[in-house]
Amino acid sequence: MIDRLLFILNETWANLRRNGLMQFAAISTSTVALILLGSVGMMLYKLDSVAQSLPRKFEIEVFAHEDAKREEVVALQQQLQAMPEVALVQLITKEEAWQQEKDALLDQMDLSDLPNPLPDKLIVSTREPEQIAGVSKRIRQEKVVEDVLNQQETLAQVMSISRFIRWTGFSISGLLMLSALVLIYNAIRLTVLSRQTEVRIMSLVGANHRAIRMPFVLEGAVQGGLGGMLASGMVLLGARMISDYTSSAWPFLDQLPGGAPVWSVLASLVALGVLLGGLSASWAAQRFVKI
Amino acid sequence: MVQFQDVSVIYGESFALSRVNLCVEPGEFVFLVGATGAGKSTMLRLMYGDLKPTRGQVMIYGQNITNLKPTGIPKLRRGMGIVPQDYALLPRKNVWENIAYGLRAIGYSQREVHRRVAHALALVGMSSEAKSKPDELSGGEAQRVAIARAIANNAPLLIADEPTANLDPETSWDITLLLQQINLRGATVIVSTHNPAIVDRLKKRVVAMENGEIISDTPSGSYPGEIERARISVATLRR
Ligand SMILES: Nc1ncnc2c1ncn2[C@@H]1O[C@H](COP(=O)(O)OP(=O)(O)OP(=O)(O)O)[C@@H](O)[C@H]1O
Ligand SMILES: [Mg+2]
Repeated sequence: MIDRLLFILNETWANLRRNGLMQFAAISTSTVALILLGSVGMMLYKLDSVAQSLPRKFEIEVFAHEDAKREEVVALQQQLQAMPEVALVQLITKEEAWQQEKDALLDQMDLSDLPNPLPDKLIVSTREPEQIAGVSKRIRQEKVVEDVLNQQETLAQVMSISRFIRWTGFSISGLLMLSALVLIYNAIRLTVLSRQTEVRIMSLVGANHRAIRMPFVLEGAVQGGLGGMLASGMVLLGARMISDYTSSAWPFLDQLPGGAPVWSVLASLVALGVLLGGLSASWAAQRFVKI
Repeated sequence: MVQFQDVSVIYGESFALSRVNLCVEPGEFVFLVGATGAGKSTMLRLMYGDLKPTRGQVMIYGQNITNLKPTGIPKLRRGMGIVPQDYALLPRKNVWENIAYGLRAIGYSQREVHRRVAHALALVGMSSEAKSKPDELSGGEAQRVAIARAIANNAPLLIADEPTANLDPETSWDITLLLQQINLRGATVIVSTHNPAIVDRLKKRVVAMENGEIISDTPSGSYPGEIERARISVATLRR
Protein backbone atom coordinates (compact mmCIF):
# COMPACT_ATOMS: atom_id res chain seq x y z
CA MET A 1 0.00 0.00 0.00
CA ILE A 2 2.71 2.41 1.09
CA ASP A 3 4.82 1.31 -1.86
CA ARG A 4 1.98 1.97 -4.29
CA LEU A 5 1.48 5.42 -2.80
CA LEU A 6 5.19 6.17 -2.97
CA PHE A 7 5.28 5.15 -6.61
CA ILE A 8 2.34 7.39 -7.47
CA LEU A 9 3.80 10.35 -5.56
CA ASN A 10 7.15 9.79 -7.21
CA GLU A 11 5.53 9.86 -10.64
CA THR A 12 3.60 12.99 -9.74
CA TRP A 13 6.82 14.69 -8.74
CA ALA A 14 8.46 13.60 -12.00
CA ASN A 15 5.49 15.03 -13.91
CA LEU A 16 5.69 18.34 -12.10
CA ARG A 17 9.33 18.81 -13.03
CA ARG A 18 8.58 18.60 -16.74
CA ASN A 19 7.28 21.44 -18.93
CA GLY A 20 8.35 24.21 -16.59
CA LEU A 21 6.71 26.91 -18.67
CA MET A 22 3.39 25.12 -18.84
CA GLN A 23 3.47 24.45 -15.09
CA PHE A 24 4.14 28.14 -14.53
CA ALA A 25 1.23 29.14 -16.77
CA ALA A 26 -1.16 26.72 -15.10
CA ILE A 27 -0.19 27.71 -11.58
CA SER A 28 -0.15 31.45 -12.22
CA THR A 29 -3.52 31.45 -13.95
CA SER A 30 -5.14 29.56 -11.13
CA THR A 31 -3.44 31.96 -8.72
CA VAL A 32 -4.90 35.00 -10.47
CA ALA A 33 -8.35 33.44 -10.69
CA LEU A 34 -8.32 32.48 -7.04
CA ILE A 35 -6.96 35.89 -5.98
CA LEU A 36 -9.96 37.52 -7.58
CA LEU A 37 -12.34 34.99 -6.14
CA GLY A 38 -10.75 35.33 -2.73
CA SER A 39 -10.96 39.15 -2.77
CA VAL A 40 -14.58 39.08 -3.84
CA GLY A 41 -15.31 36.54 -1.16
CA MET A 42 -13.63 38.63 1.50
CA MET A 43 -15.40 41.83 0.45
CA LEU A 44 -18.73 40.09 0.49
CA TYR A 45 -17.96 38.62 3.89
CA LYS A 46 -17.15 42.08 5.23
CA LEU A 47 -20.25 43.67 3.71
CA ASP A 48 -22.38 40.81 4.98
CA SER A 49 -21.16 41.22 8.49
CA VAL A 50 -21.75 44.97 8.26
CA ALA A 51 -25.25 44.31 7.00
CA GLN A 52 -25.83 41.75 9.72
CA SER A 53 -24.86 44.21 12.39
CA LEU A 54 -27.36 46.82 11.14
CA PRO A 55 -30.95 45.68 11.21
CA ARG A 56 -31.05 44.76 14.86
CA LYS A 57 -31.49 48.40 15.84
CA PHE A 58 -34.81 50.06 15.05
CA GLU A 59 -33.16 53.43 15.28
CA ILE A 60 -33.20 56.68 13.43
CA GLU A 61 -30.39 59.17 13.86
CA VAL A 62 -31.58 62.76 13.58
CA PHE A 63 -28.94 65.48 13.15
CA ALA A 64 -29.90 69.05 13.97
CA HIS A 65 -28.74 72.08 12.01
CA GLU A 66 -25.37 73.33 13.12
CA ASP A 67 -26.85 76.61 14.34
CA ALA A 68 -30.01 75.13 15.84
CA LYS A 69 -30.65 76.26 19.38
CA ARG A 70 -30.63 73.71 22.17
CA GLU A 71 -34.24 74.61 23.11
CA GLU A 72 -35.39 73.87 19.60
CA VAL A 73 -33.74 70.48 19.70
CA VAL A 74 -35.25 69.67 23.07
CA ALA A 75 -38.64 70.78 21.79
CA LEU A 76 -38.29 68.45 18.86
CA GLN A 77 -37.32 65.66 21.21
CA GLN A 78 -40.52 66.12 23.18
CA GLN A 79 -42.61 66.40 20.06
CA LEU A 80 -41.20 63.15 18.70
CA GLN A 81 -41.58 61.37 21.99
CA ALA A 82 -45.29 62.14 21.79
CA MET A 83 -45.70 60.21 18.56
CA PRO A 84 -47.40 56.84 19.08
CA GLU A 85 -44.90 54.92 16.91
CA VAL A 86 -41.94 56.23 18.84
CA ALA A 87 -40.65 54.25 21.79
CA LEU A 88 -37.80 56.42 22.94
CA VAL A 89 -36.00 59.59 21.94
CA GLN A 90 -32.57 60.15 23.31
CA LEU A 91 -30.69 63.42 23.05
CA ILE A 92 -26.97 63.40 22.52
CA THR A 93 -25.67 66.91 22.71
CA LYS A 94 -22.83 68.00 20.49
CA GLU A 95 -20.60 68.33 23.55
CA GLU A 96 -21.27 64.75 24.60
CA ALA A 97 -20.78 63.46 21.06
CA TRP A 98 -17.51 65.31 20.70
CA GLN A 99 -16.24 64.01 24.01
CA GLN A 100 -17.11 60.47 22.98
CA GLU A 101 -15.32 60.88 19.68
CA LYS A 102 -12.24 62.29 21.38
CA ASP A 103 -12.22 59.43 23.88
CA ALA A 104 -12.61 56.82 21.16
CA LEU A 105 -9.71 58.20 19.15
CA LEU A 106 -7.56 59.08 22.12
CA ASP A 107 -4.61 56.91 21.25
CA GLN A 108 -4.79 57.58 17.51
CA MET A 109 -4.89 61.33 17.33
CA ASP A 110 -5.18 64.43 19.49
CA LEU A 111 -8.38 66.34 18.76
CA SER A 112 -8.28 68.65 21.75
CA ASP A 113 -7.29 71.76 19.76
CA LEU A 114 -10.02 71.45 17.17
CA PRO A 115 -13.36 73.20 17.39
CA ASN A 116 -16.32 70.87 17.80
CA PRO A 117 -17.60 70.01 14.28
CA LEU A 118 -20.53 67.89 15.47
CA PRO A 119 -24.21 68.88 15.69
CA ASP A 120 -26.74 67.90 18.34
CA LYS A 121 -28.21 64.52 17.67
CA LEU A 122 -31.43 62.70 18.54
CA ILE A 123 -31.64 58.95 18.49
CA VAL A 124 -35.21 57.86 17.83
CA SER A 125 -36.26 54.27 18.44
CA THR A 126 -39.50 53.10 16.88
CA ARG A 127 -41.65 50.36 18.33
CA GLU A 128 -41.51 48.25 15.14
CA PRO A 129 -38.88 48.18 12.38
CA GLU A 130 -41.55 48.78 9.70
CA GLN A 131 -42.28 52.19 11.21
CA ILE A 132 -38.76 53.49 10.59
CA ALA A 133 -39.35 54.65 7.03
CA GLY A 134 -42.56 56.57 7.82
CA VAL A 135 -41.22 58.22 10.94
CA SER A 136 -37.97 59.19 9.13
CA LYS A 137 -39.98 60.88 6.43
CA ARG A 138 -41.94 62.97 8.93
CA ILE A 139 -38.86 63.97 10.87
CA ARG A 140 -37.18 65.13 7.70
CA GLN A 141 -39.84 67.84 7.29
CA GLU A 142 -38.89 69.54 10.56
CA LYS A 143 -37.04 72.85 10.15
CA VAL A 144 -34.40 72.16 12.82
CA VAL A 145 -33.39 68.94 11.15
CA GLU A 146 -30.37 68.89 8.88
CA ASP A 147 -30.22 65.17 8.13
CA VAL A 148 -31.91 61.92 9.02
CA LEU A 149 -30.09 58.62 8.89
CA ASN A 150 -31.72 55.33 9.40
CA GLN A 151 -30.09 51.93 9.24
CA GLN A 152 -32.57 50.66 6.68
CA GLU A 153 -31.27 53.07 4.10
CA THR A 154 -27.70 52.24 4.98
CA LEU A 155 -28.61 48.59 4.81
CA ALA A 156 -30.13 49.02 1.37
CA GLN A 157 -26.97 50.75 0.21
CA VAL A 158 -24.74 48.04 1.64
CA MET A 159 -26.90 45.41 0.02
CA SER A 160 -26.74 47.03 -3.38
CA ILE A 161 -22.96 47.36 -3.21
CA SER A 162 -22.79 43.78 -2.12
CA ARG A 163 -25.03 42.69 -4.99
CA PHE A 164 -22.88 44.56 -7.47
CA ILE A 165 -19.68 43.00 -6.17
CA ARG A 166 -21.31 39.61 -6.10
CA TRP A 167 -22.34 39.71 -9.73
CA THR A 168 -19.34 41.37 -11.35
CA GLY A 169 -16.86 39.68 -9.04
CA PHE A 170 -18.21 36.23 -9.43
CA SER A 171 -18.65 36.45 -13.17
CA ILE A 172 -15.13 37.76 -13.75
CA SER A 173 -13.60 35.23 -11.42
CA GLY A 174 -15.75 32.55 -13.03
CA LEU A 175 -14.24 33.41 -16.40
CA LEU A 176 -10.73 33.40 -14.97
CA MET A 177 -11.46 30.12 -13.28
CA LEU A 178 -12.51 28.70 -16.60
CA SER A 179 -9.25 29.78 -18.20
CA ALA A 180 -7.34 28.25 -15.28
CA LEU A 181 -9.20 25.01 -15.91
CA VAL A 182 -8.31 25.10 -19.58
CA LEU A 183 -4.66 25.79 -18.80
CA ILE A 184 -4.42 22.98 -16.30
CA TYR A 185 -6.15 20.70 -18.77
CA ASN A 186 -3.57 21.63 -21.37
CA ALA A 187 -0.65 21.27 -19.01
CA ILE A 188 -1.81 17.76 -18.18
CA ARG A 189 -2.25 16.97 -21.86
CA LEU A 190 1.37 17.99 -22.48
CA THR A 191 2.63 15.94 -19.55
CA VAL A 192 0.73 12.91 -20.79
CA LEU A 193 2.27 13.36 -24.23
CA SER A 194 5.76 13.65 -22.78
CA ARG A 195 5.23 10.50 -20.75
CA GLN A 196 3.78 8.18 -23.32
CA THR A 197 6.52 5.60 -22.89
CA GLU A 198 5.89 5.43 -19.15
CA VAL A 199 2.18 5.06 -19.72
CA ARG A 200 2.80 2.30 -22.25
CA ILE A 201 5.14 0.39 -19.95
CA MET A 202 2.72 0.63 -17.05
CA SER A 203 -0.06 -0.54 -19.28
CA LEU A 204 1.98 -3.50 -20.61
CA VAL A 205 3.04 -4.73 -17.19
CA GLY A 206 -0.58 -4.56 -16.06
CA ALA A 207 -0.67 -1.56 -13.73
CA ASN A 208 -4.21 -0.63 -12.72
CA HIS A 209 -5.72 2.17 -14.72
CA ARG A 210 -6.16 4.22 -11.62
CA ALA A 211 -2.48 3.90 -10.75
CA ILE A 212 -1.61 5.04 -14.27
CA ARG A 213 -3.90 8.07 -14.24
CA MET A 214 -3.52 9.12 -10.64
CA PRO A 215 -0.16 10.92 -11.01
CA PHE A 216 -1.66 13.16 -13.69
CA VAL A 217 -4.70 13.94 -11.59
CA LEU A 218 -2.48 14.73 -8.62
CA GLU A 219 -0.35 16.96 -10.82
CA GLY A 220 -3.41 19.07 -11.63
CA ALA A 221 -4.47 19.08 -7.99
CA VAL A 222 -1.02 20.30 -6.98
CA GLN A 223 -1.12 23.06 -9.61
CA GLY A 224 -4.53 24.19 -8.37
CA GLY A 225 -3.50 23.83 -4.73
CA LEU A 226 -0.33 25.87 -5.23
CA GLY A 227 -2.44 28.49 -7.00
CA GLY A 228 -4.79 28.51 -4.00
CA MET A 229 -1.91 28.88 -1.58
CA LEU A 230 -0.29 31.75 -3.46
CA ALA A 231 -3.68 33.39 -3.93
CA SER A 232 -4.64 33.21 -0.27
CA GLY A 233 -1.25 34.66 0.65
CA MET A 234 -1.81 37.59 -1.70
CA VAL A 235 -5.42 38.13 -0.67
CA LEU A 236 -4.59 38.13 3.02
CA LEU A 237 -1.62 40.42 2.49
CA GLY A 238 -3.76 42.75 0.38
CA ALA A 239 -6.52 42.80 2.97
CA ARG A 240 -4.01 43.59 5.69
CA MET A 241 -2.53 46.46 3.68
CA ILE A 242 -5.94 47.92 2.91
CA SER A 243 -7.11 47.71 6.49
CA ASP A 244 -3.85 49.26 7.72
CA TYR A 245 -4.36 52.12 5.29
CA THR A 246 -8.05 52.68 6.04
CA SER A 247 -7.64 52.50 9.78
CA SER A 248 -5.03 55.24 9.69
CA ALA A 249 -6.98 57.36 7.20
CA TRP A 250 -10.46 56.75 8.59
CA PRO A 251 -10.10 55.37 12.12
CA PHE A 252 -13.86 55.13 12.63
CA LEU A 253 -13.92 52.22 10.15
CA ASP A 254 -12.30 50.09 12.84
CA GLN A 255 -15.64 50.05 14.58
CA LEU A 256 -17.07 47.98 11.72
CA PRO A 257 -17.17 44.23 12.24
CA GLY A 258 -13.99 42.37 11.24
CA GLY A 259 -13.20 40.48 8.02
CA ALA A 260 -13.12 36.76 7.27
CA PRO A 261 -10.81 34.69 9.50
CA VAL A 262 -7.39 34.00 7.99
CA TRP A 263 -7.49 30.21 8.18
CA SER A 264 -10.84 29.95 6.46
CA VAL A 265 -9.62 32.04 3.51
CA LEU A 266 -6.53 29.87 3.23
CA ALA A 267 -8.40 26.59 3.58
CA SER A 268 -11.18 27.43 1.16
CA LEU A 269 -8.92 28.82 -1.58
CA VAL A 270 -6.54 25.87 -1.37
CA ALA A 271 -9.43 23.39 -1.28
CA LEU A 272 -11.05 25.08 -4.26
CA GLY A 273 -7.77 25.07 -6.18
CA VAL A 274 -7.15 21.39 -5.44
CA LEU A 275 -10.70 20.50 -6.41
CA LEU A 276 -10.73 22.44 -9.69
CA GLY A 277 -7.20 21.40 -10.64
CA GLY A 278 -7.88 17.76 -9.86
CA LEU A 279 -11.15 17.85 -11.76
CA SER A 280 -9.78 19.30 -14.97
CA ALA A 281 -6.71 17.07 -14.72
CA SER A 282 -8.86 13.98 -14.41
CA TRP A 283 -10.78 15.04 -17.51
CA ALA A 284 -7.48 15.41 -19.34
CA ALA A 285 -6.17 12.08 -18.01
CA GLN A 286 -9.39 10.35 -18.98
CA ARG A 287 -9.14 11.79 -22.44
CA PHE A 288 -5.44 11.58 -23.25
CA VAL A 289 -4.04 8.63 -21.31
CA LYS A 290 -4.45 5.82 -23.81
CA ILE A 291 -4.19 2.52 -22.06
CA MET B 1 -2.95 -21.95 -22.38
CA VAL B 2 -3.70 -19.81 -25.44
CA GLN B 3 -6.59 -20.66 -27.68
CA PHE B 4 -8.01 -18.93 -30.76
CA GLN B 5 -11.35 -20.15 -32.08
CA ASP B 6 -12.35 -18.93 -35.53
CA VAL B 7 -10.86 -15.51 -34.84
CA SER B 8 -11.24 -12.75 -37.43
CA VAL B 9 -10.08 -9.17 -37.15
CA ILE B 10 -11.43 -6.76 -39.71
CA TYR B 11 -10.20 -3.21 -40.30
CA GLY B 12 -12.82 -1.49 -42.41
CA GLU B 13 -13.04 -3.73 -45.45
CA SER B 14 -9.81 -5.68 -45.08
CA PHE B 15 -9.15 -8.79 -42.98
CA ALA B 16 -6.10 -8.53 -40.73
CA LEU B 17 -6.95 -12.01 -39.49
CA SER B 18 -9.39 -14.37 -41.06
CA ARG B 19 -10.89 -17.36 -39.19
CA VAL B 20 -7.77 -18.29 -37.30
CA ASN B 21 -7.67 -21.35 -35.03
CA LEU B 22 -4.71 -21.91 -32.75
CA CYS B 23 -4.03 -23.79 -29.55
CA VAL B 24 -0.83 -23.36 -27.55
CA GLU B 25 -0.21 -25.79 -24.68
CA PRO B 26 1.61 -24.88 -21.45
CA GLY B 27 5.37 -25.13 -21.77
CA GLU B 28 5.42 -24.77 -25.55
CA PHE B 29 7.78 -22.56 -27.55
CA VAL B 30 5.99 -21.23 -30.61
CA PHE B 31 7.33 -19.19 -33.51
CA LEU B 32 4.82 -17.08 -35.39
CA VAL B 33 6.31 -16.46 -38.83
CA GLY B 34 5.16 -14.59 -41.91
CA ALA B 35 5.91 -11.65 -44.14
CA THR B 36 5.16 -8.05 -43.19
CA GLY B 37 1.43 -7.55 -42.84
CA ALA B 38 0.72 -11.27 -42.42
CA GLY B 39 -1.01 -10.63 -39.09
CA LYS B 40 1.60 -11.67 -36.51
CA SER B 41 1.33 -8.56 -34.35
CA THR B 42 -2.42 -8.73 -34.59
CA MET B 43 -2.33 -12.25 -33.14
CA LEU B 44 -0.12 -11.16 -30.24
CA ARG B 45 -2.17 -8.06 -29.50
CA LEU B 46 -5.27 -10.22 -29.25
CA MET B 47 -3.50 -12.32 -26.62
CA TYR B 48 -2.77 -9.43 -24.30
CA GLY B 49 -6.09 -7.71 -24.73
CA ASP B 50 -4.81 -4.78 -26.79
CA LEU B 51 -7.31 -5.66 -29.51
CA LYS B 52 -10.70 -7.33 -29.64
CA PRO B 53 -11.54 -9.90 -32.30
CA THR B 54 -14.25 -8.86 -34.73
CA ARG B 55 -15.45 -12.48 -34.68
CA GLY B 56 -14.50 -15.61 -32.78
CA GLN B 57 -13.16 -16.23 -29.29
CA VAL B 58 -9.80 -15.79 -27.60
CA MET B 59 -9.06 -17.77 -24.45
CA ILE B 60 -6.07 -17.27 -22.15
CA TYR B 61 -5.49 -19.71 -19.29
CA GLY B 62 -8.95 -21.07 -20.05
CA GLN B 63 -10.51 -17.65 -19.50
CA ASN B 64 -12.48 -16.19 -22.36
CA ILE B 65 -11.07 -12.71 -22.84
CA THR B 66 -13.12 -11.90 -25.91
CA ASN B 67 -15.49 -9.70 -23.98
CA LEU B 68 -13.13 -8.72 -21.20
CA LYS B 69 -13.97 -5.33 -19.72
CA PRO B 70 -11.19 -2.71 -19.80
CA THR B 71 -10.85 -3.04 -16.03
CA GLY B 72 -10.02 -6.72 -16.45
CA ILE B 73 -7.07 -6.11 -18.73
CA PRO B 74 -4.48 -5.15 -16.06
CA LYS B 75 -5.00 -8.44 -14.25
CA LEU B 76 -4.71 -10.37 -17.52
CA ARG B 77 -1.41 -8.66 -18.30
CA ARG B 78 0.02 -9.21 -14.84
CA GLY B 79 -0.28 -12.90 -15.71
CA MET B 80 2.04 -12.59 -18.71
CA GLY B 81 5.25 -10.93 -19.82
CA ILE B 82 5.14 -8.73 -22.91
CA VAL B 83 8.23 -7.67 -24.87
CA PRO B 84 7.31 -4.83 -27.20
CA GLN B 85 9.05 -4.58 -30.55
CA ASP B 86 10.64 -1.19 -29.79
CA TYR B 87 11.96 -2.22 -26.32
CA ALA B 88 10.15 0.75 -24.71
CA LEU B 89 12.97 1.62 -22.31
CA LEU B 90 12.94 4.90 -20.41
CA PRO B 91 15.96 6.90 -21.60
CA ARG B 92 16.54 8.75 -18.33
CA LYS B 93 16.49 5.66 -16.16
CA ASN B 94 19.30 3.15 -15.99
CA VAL B 95 18.86 -0.56 -16.64
CA TRP B 96 18.08 -1.40 -13.04
CA GLU B 97 15.55 1.43 -12.70
CA ASN B 98 13.89 0.50 -15.96
CA ILE B 99 13.10 -2.98 -14.71
CA ALA B 100 12.20 -1.76 -11.24
CA TYR B 101 9.78 0.77 -12.76
CA GLY B 102 7.52 -1.94 -14.18
CA LEU B 103 7.48 -3.83 -10.90
CA ARG B 104 6.79 -0.76 -8.80
CA ALA B 105 3.95 0.21 -11.13
CA ILE B 106 2.14 -2.98 -10.20
CA GLY B 107 2.68 -2.46 -6.51
CA TYR B 108 5.59 -4.62 -5.42
CA SER B 109 7.34 -3.58 -2.22
CA GLN B 110 10.82 -2.07 -2.43
CA ARG B 111 12.38 -5.23 -1.07
CA GLU B 112 10.56 -7.49 -3.50
CA VAL B 113 11.43 -5.16 -6.37
CA HIS B 114 15.08 -5.34 -5.40
CA ARG B 115 15.07 -9.12 -5.28
CA ARG B 116 13.24 -9.56 -8.57
CA VAL B 117 15.29 -7.02 -10.51
CA ALA B 118 18.52 -8.68 -9.41
CA HIS B 119 17.16 -12.08 -10.37
CA ALA B 120 15.86 -10.97 -13.78
CA LEU B 121 19.12 -9.18 -14.62
CA ALA B 122 21.12 -12.26 -13.73
CA LEU B 123 18.84 -14.40 -15.92
CA VAL B 124 19.37 -12.25 -18.99
CA GLY B 125 23.08 -11.82 -18.23
CA MET B 126 22.96 -8.07 -17.71
CA SER B 127 23.89 -7.78 -14.02
CA SER B 128 27.09 -5.90 -14.80
CA GLU B 129 25.21 -3.29 -16.88
CA ALA B 130 22.72 -2.42 -14.15
CA LYS B 131 23.93 1.18 -13.97
CA SER B 132 24.05 1.83 -17.72
CA LYS B 133 21.57 4.10 -19.44
CA PRO B 134 19.66 2.70 -22.43
CA ASP B 135 21.61 4.84 -24.93
CA GLU B 136 24.83 3.17 -23.76
CA LEU B 137 23.49 -0.28 -24.68
CA SER B 138 23.75 -2.22 -27.92
CA GLY B 139 20.55 -3.40 -29.58
CA GLY B 140 20.98 -6.89 -28.18
CA GLU B 141 21.58 -5.57 -24.67
CA ALA B 142 18.54 -3.31 -24.86
CA GLN B 143 16.48 -6.30 -25.95
CA ARG B 144 17.78 -8.27 -22.96
CA VAL B 145 16.68 -5.50 -20.64
CA ALA B 146 13.22 -5.46 -22.24
CA ILE B 147 13.02 -9.23 -21.78
CA ALA B 148 14.20 -8.93 -18.17
CA ARG B 149 11.39 -6.45 -17.49
CA ALA B 150 8.88 -8.86 -19.02
CA ILE B 151 10.02 -11.86 -16.99
CA ALA B 152 10.62 -10.01 -13.72
CA ASN B 153 7.05 -10.74 -12.69
CA ASN B 154 7.73 -14.45 -13.18
CA ALA B 155 4.67 -14.91 -15.37
CA PRO B 156 4.00 -18.31 -16.99
CA LEU B 157 3.57 -16.80 -20.46
CA LEU B 158 6.04 -14.66 -22.41
CA ILE B 159 4.99 -12.85 -25.59
CA ALA B 160 7.66 -11.21 -27.75
CA ASP B 161 6.92 -9.31 -30.97
CA GLU B 162 9.88 -9.53 -33.37
CA PRO B 163 12.55 -9.58 -30.68
CA THR B 164 15.29 -9.99 -33.29
CA ALA B 165 14.01 -7.52 -35.86
CA ASN B 166 16.81 -4.97 -35.52
CA LEU B 167 19.66 -7.29 -34.53
CA ASP B 168 22.53 -8.86 -36.46
CA PRO B 169 22.37 -12.65 -37.00
CA GLU B 170 24.69 -13.55 -34.14
CA THR B 171 22.93 -11.35 -31.60
CA SER B 172 19.59 -12.61 -32.89
CA TRP B 173 20.69 -16.12 -32.13
CA ASP B 174 21.83 -15.13 -28.61
CA ILE B 175 18.45 -13.57 -27.90
CA THR B 176 16.71 -16.64 -29.26
CA LEU B 177 18.76 -18.84 -26.95
CA LEU B 178 17.80 -16.61 -24.07
CA LEU B 179 14.12 -17.03 -24.93
CA GLN B 180 14.65 -20.78 -25.15
CA GLN B 181 16.28 -20.73 -21.72
CA ILE B 182 13.26 -18.92 -20.32
CA ASN B 183 11.08 -21.56 -21.95
CA LEU B 184 13.15 -24.33 -20.37
CA ARG B 185 12.57 -22.74 -16.97
CA GLY B 186 8.89 -23.46 -17.49
CA ALA B 187 7.33 -20.45 -19.23
CA THR B 188 5.29 -20.76 -22.39
CA VAL B 189 6.96 -18.55 -25.02
CA ILE B 190 5.31 -17.13 -28.13
CA VAL B 191 7.60 -15.21 -30.48
CA SER B 192 6.82 -13.55 -33.79
CA THR B 193 9.60 -13.22 -36.33
CA HIS B 194 10.36 -13.04 -40.01
CA ASN B 195 13.83 -14.47 -39.56
CA PRO B 196 13.81 -17.95 -41.20
CA ALA B 197 17.40 -18.79 -40.25
CA ILE B 198 16.61 -18.74 -36.56
CA VAL B 199 13.35 -20.58 -36.94
CA ASP B 200 15.00 -23.38 -38.89
CA ARG B 201 17.89 -23.64 -36.47
CA LEU B 202 15.92 -23.89 -33.22
CA LYS B 203 13.47 -26.52 -34.43
CA LYS B 204 10.53 -25.44 -32.32
CA ARG B 205 6.88 -25.30 -33.29
CA VAL B 206 6.34 -22.94 -36.22
CA VAL B 207 3.04 -21.34 -37.07
CA ALA B 208 3.29 -19.75 -40.51
CA MET B 209 0.95 -16.95 -41.54
CA GLU B 210 0.07 -15.24 -44.78
CA ASN B 211 -2.52 -12.55 -45.40
CA GLY B 212 -4.16 -13.05 -42.05
CA GLU B 213 -4.43 -16.81 -42.29
CA ILE B 214 -2.43 -19.64 -40.79
CA ILE B 215 -0.98 -21.54 -43.74
CA SER B 216 0.99 -24.13 -41.81
CA ASP B 217 1.61 -25.35 -38.28
CA THR B 218 4.78 -27.42 -37.87
CA PRO B 219 5.41 -29.25 -34.60
CA SER B 220 8.76 -28.94 -32.82
CA GLY B 221 11.64 -31.24 -33.60
CA SER B 222 11.09 -31.22 -37.35
CA TYR B 223 13.94 -30.74 -39.77
CA PRO B 224 13.86 -28.23 -42.59
CA GLY B 225 12.99 -30.86 -45.14
CA GLU B 226 10.20 -32.15 -42.98
CA ILE B 227 8.74 -28.69 -42.59
CA GLU B 228 7.82 -28.69 -46.25
CA ARG B 229 6.30 -32.13 -45.99
CA ALA B 230 4.52 -31.36 -42.73
CA ARG B 231 2.98 -28.23 -44.17
CA ILE B 232 -0.48 -29.27 -43.26
CA SER B 233 -3.52 -27.33 -44.03
CA VAL B 234 -4.76 -26.35 -40.61
CA ALA B 235 -8.24 -25.29 -39.70
CA THR B 236 -8.01 -22.19 -41.79
CA LEU B 237 -10.70 -21.96 -44.38
CA ARG B 238 -9.93 -19.71 -47.32
CA ARG B 239 -12.56 -17.18 -48.09
N1 LIG C 1 -4.85 -0.05 -36.90
C1 LIG C 1 -4.95 -0.63 -38.12
N2 LIG C 1 -5.78 -0.11 -39.03
C2 LIG C 1 -5.89 -0.70 -40.27
N3 LIG C 1 -5.22 -1.77 -40.64
C3 LIG C 1 -4.36 -2.32 -39.77
C4 LIG C 1 -4.17 -1.78 -38.47
N4 LIG C 1 -3.27 -2.53 -37.81
C5 LIG C 1 -2.90 -3.50 -38.67
N5 LIG C 1 -3.54 -3.38 -39.84
C6 LIG C 1 -3.41 -4.28 -40.99
O1 LIG C 1 -3.55 -5.61 -40.55
C7 LIG C 1 -2.66 -6.46 -41.24
C8 LIG C 1 -1.83 -7.29 -40.26
O2 LIG C 1 -0.97 -6.40 -39.56
P1 LIG C 1 0.09 -6.92 -38.48
O3 LIG C 1 0.67 -5.73 -37.84
O4 LIG C 1 -0.55 -7.94 -37.64
O5 LIG C 1 1.17 -7.60 -39.42
P2 LIG C 1 2.57 -8.21 -39.00
O6 LIG C 1 2.56 -9.62 -39.46
O7 LIG C 1 2.83 -7.98 -37.58
O8 LIG C 1 3.56 -7.38 -39.90
P3 LIG C 1 5.01 -6.81 -39.52
O9 LIG C 1 5.97 -7.90 -39.86
O10 LIG C 1 5.16 -5.65 -40.44
O11 LIG C 1 5.00 -6.43 -38.08
C9 LIG C 1 -1.82 -5.58 -42.14
O12 LIG C 1 -2.33 -5.66 -43.44
C10 LIG C 1 -2.02 -4.19 -41.58
O13 LIG C 1 -1.98 -3.24 -42.63
MG1 LIG D 1 4.26 -6.78 -36.44
